[in-house]
Amino acid sequence: MKRPITLKINGQRHDVLVEPSATLLEAVRDQAGLMGAKEGCGTGDCGACSMIVDGRLVTSCLMLAVEAEGSDITTIEGLARDGQLHPLQQAFIDLGAVQCGYCIPGMILAGKALLDANPNPAPDEIRRAIAGNLCRCTGYTKIVEAIAAAATQLQGATP
Amino acid sequence: MTTTAEPTRTEHAVVGQRIPRIEGRKKVTGQSVYAADVSLPGMLYAKLLHAPHAHARIKGIDTSRARMLEGVESVVTASDLPQFEARRRSNRAYVLLASDEVVFAGQPVAAVVATSSAIADEALDLIAVEYEELPVVLDPVAAMDPGAPLARQPIEEIDRSEARGHATVDVREEEGAGKPTNVASQVRFTRGDVAQGFAEADAVVEDTWRTPFMHQGYIEPHATVAGFDPVSGELTLYTGTQGQFFVRDQISNMLRIPETKLRVVGMELGGGFGGKVFLTQALASVLSFIAKRPVKLVYTRTEEMTSATPSGGCVAEVKLGMKRDGTITALDARLIYDTGAFPGASAVVGAILLGGYYRFPNLDIRSYEVLTNKVSVGAIRAPAAHNATFAIESALDEACRRLGLDPVETRLKNAVAEGDEMPTQQKYPRIGLVETLQAARESAAWREREAWKTAAPPGTKRGVGLAIGGWLGGLQPASAVVELNGDGTINVVVGANDITGTNTAFAQIAAEELAVDVSEVSVVTGDTRTAPFAGMSAGSKTLFTVGRAVKEAAEDARRQIIAVARERLGATEEDELELSGGEVRIKGQPDKALSYRRLGGITTGFGAAYAPIIGRGSITARRQAPGFAAHVAAVEIDDATGEVTLRRWTTAQDVGFAVNPLNVEGQLQGGSAQGIGSGLWEEMVFDVQGHLRNPSLLDYRMPTAADLPDIETILVETPSEDGPYGARGVGEPSIVPGAAAVANAVRDALGVRVNDAPITPERVLRALGRI
Repeated sequence: MKRPITLKINGQRHDVLVEPSATLLEAVRDQAGLMGAKEGCGTGDCGACSMIVDGRLVTSCLMLAVEAEGSDITTIEGLARDGQLHPLQQAFIDLGAVQCGYCIPGMILAGKALLDANPNPAPDEIRRAIAGNLCRCTGYTKIVEAIAAAATQLQGATP
Repeated sequence: MTTTAEPTRTEHAVVGQRIPRIEGRKKVTGQSVYAADVSLPGMLYAKLLHAPHAHARIKGIDTSRARMLEGVESVVTASDLPQFEARRRSNRAYVLLASDEVVFAGQPVAAVVATSSAIADEALDLIAVEYEELPVVLDPVAAMDPGAPLARQPIEEIDRSEARGHATVDVREEEGAGKPTNVASQVRFTRGDVAQGFAEADAVVEDTWRTPFMHQGYIEPHATVAGFDPVSGELTLYTGTQGQFFVRDQISNMLRIPETKLRVVGMELGGGFGGKVFLTQALASVLSFIAKRPVKLVYTRTEEMTSATPSGGCVAEVKLGMKRDGTITALDARLIYDTGAFPGASAVVGAILLGGYYRFPNLDIRSYEVLTNKVSVGAIRAPAAHNATFAIESALDEACRRLGLDPVETRLKNAVAEGDEMPTQQKYPRIGLVETLQAARESAAWREREAWKTAAPPGTKRGVGLAIGGWLGGLQPASAVVELNGDGTINVVVGANDITGTNTAFAQIAAEELAVDVSEVSVVTGDTRTAPFAGMSAGSKTLFTVGRAVKEAAEDARRQIIAVARERLGATEEDELELSGGEVRIKGQPDKALSYRRLGGITTGFGAAYAPIIGRGSITARRQAPGFAAHVAAVEIDDATGEVTLRRWTTAQDVGFAVNPLNVEGQLQGGSAQGIGSGLWEEMVFDVQGHLRNPSLLDYRMPTAADLPDIETILVETPSEDGPYGARGVGEPSIVPGAAAVANAVRDALGVRVNDAPITPERVLRALGRI
């Protein structure tokens, strides 16, 4: 039996109708129509579906949509403002951290969750923070460099 | 840290620059559209039922209960599907669903099409299949025995069309003995007198090296939306593939649809690494024919692991002779590639590479492709290469140790160069193996190795190892179009599916040839009805072949621009015209210039006097440009647990000419990571019944960010004869030496060698005699 719920995604209300068994990932993609989050495994092992829910990085394939009702949900679509990329997004492009791109929405959100909690992470801390997000293209070197560069830029921007 | 040996780039303005990927903004904002993101009106969802047994006869399938579930449109088994001629039965992609015989655990046996994927999933549980289990063949060495049970009904001829996209070799396979066996193919290369070679050797290393099944590990599962329109008879496929034209050709062949009624739209591809070319597209198409509505088929990760086309395992028996001065005297080897339940392992390529890195005066290599009841295999980045390289580079390292020789100098002494022969007697064109080894020798990781090892923390041992490897490269024709738009900007149209940043490189090539900023150029990959033909994005050949076509098309456009400008500007025959900064002008007469914007107007506007500028490039490639890599691994091993931690990694690779060093570094780093994975963690483990025991990304351990150090890259540039600006393929060589470099580092640290990859703590402790 489907249930109407309201999800707050990137600051916007989305009234959606979901099965009780629907995952947050399914609701966001299939009902809210935000296709940036990807399914890579469906078992929480790859991180391609990562979203930030109430400040915590979650694998949205393992969270039920009904559990997320009332929460603040950030997806990759919520990072750029008025066509202006978030410093993480810009650094990922400029430093060559993007290849096939499938892991990138989740990877950038993992970077954001880290920088929100720890604005000046050491390279090892960056590596641990994104260890739940698999990338098969890059070998991670340029991703770590991009997150470090974005951290530097964000710190410079803060008075 | 990434360092690049930056050569002088004054000759070129745009190629050779670190240009960020042109589709980057779409990817970082989640706007790129992958096949699983596609929805069509009235679309249905397909799910597959997989065989639970590795070898069985299907006695009967009862789909009646599944058909009755509300929301189920159709339940399809082999009896509902077209059958293809015998030769095609050797091709996994042509066996849409198992008919009478199941040959691996995970083989699809039925498909459900329903109004939602949840309903389709539910219906799978309602299908009852009766199986009669048959003897399971799993060990490829035992399977070669003439008396061994057969893994499957005999195959007569083998269809190798897909494999040729990855490596273009022209070698005749040997005829089998007549009686059906599990040996799908075999090849033998000989040179000189091996017995004499071993008689001259001061050290002979003889051992067996094993590499397991390994998964390509792309993060995006296979996905296709097939839309058949019964009114027009047209079929449109939105699919994730490395080769949309290959998909078109195969579907046309299989389903007898003319290519005029078939449109394959290669979507943004979430990684392929050889494993994502043609697998589920035909089944999705047939399901759409039956439903007369669009059908979406997306693999789950479990299906990816049990029912896609990973890379096969290999048992390599290698005997290598070396003189005291480091001269290699002989190589005698037997390679046994486990190809799973369908042919597909590149046993020929493995044999060529095994005997192709060094000047072996005497060699005898037999290479076999053996059928077993495991998942059928496909290409991986440099298919068959890492397996053979693990063996030969370990054996060579061991010979150096026995004779107290320097591993780099010994390799340099024997390394192949231009004019040397491969085991096929084909001569190498210009290659940069020697230069690559020299670059690795100069790397910090190699030069500082003794001091670094001495500083091992208490309770650990450190070692540094080096290995080389290469890839010959694929060949396929390609074409491209470069046109001047009405506003003076440039459009490039290609048919190649971009995985590695090739479209960015094409933009650079067009910008270079037409003397504009790269931001003035757009590159689009058209679909198979709109794009000029391109081969598969595989075999490290996309830039090498399509890049040449783009360059030729841009040169053609430039000639047309000059012809129009010559007339328009009233240039004399003696006047020389030049392109610069988005305009064409008469050299030495700065006021005699025509901007591209104006050119766009006078070649496209109402009543325009000149024909549109549209350049065409169409090439064929006949000579490969082999690429070589040398990897330096520095490992630290925990005395108590045997766990190997990688501390440093440097890769030097001959890339010919780096059209985009930023993207080339990324290729080298990604390939290195896969090679490291093959050396330390990655293994598909099958139980005695042939079931995969680790069909998830938790249990199949690919490297995470926390497992790896920064990967240092050194770009070596030995120009190829035929690649654009001297470029050669870069994607594949980067994975090849990985496992061997790790193994040689472990040997350096421990004094014992681990011959089975991946080098797990258990294998380390066994090698040390501790368990």
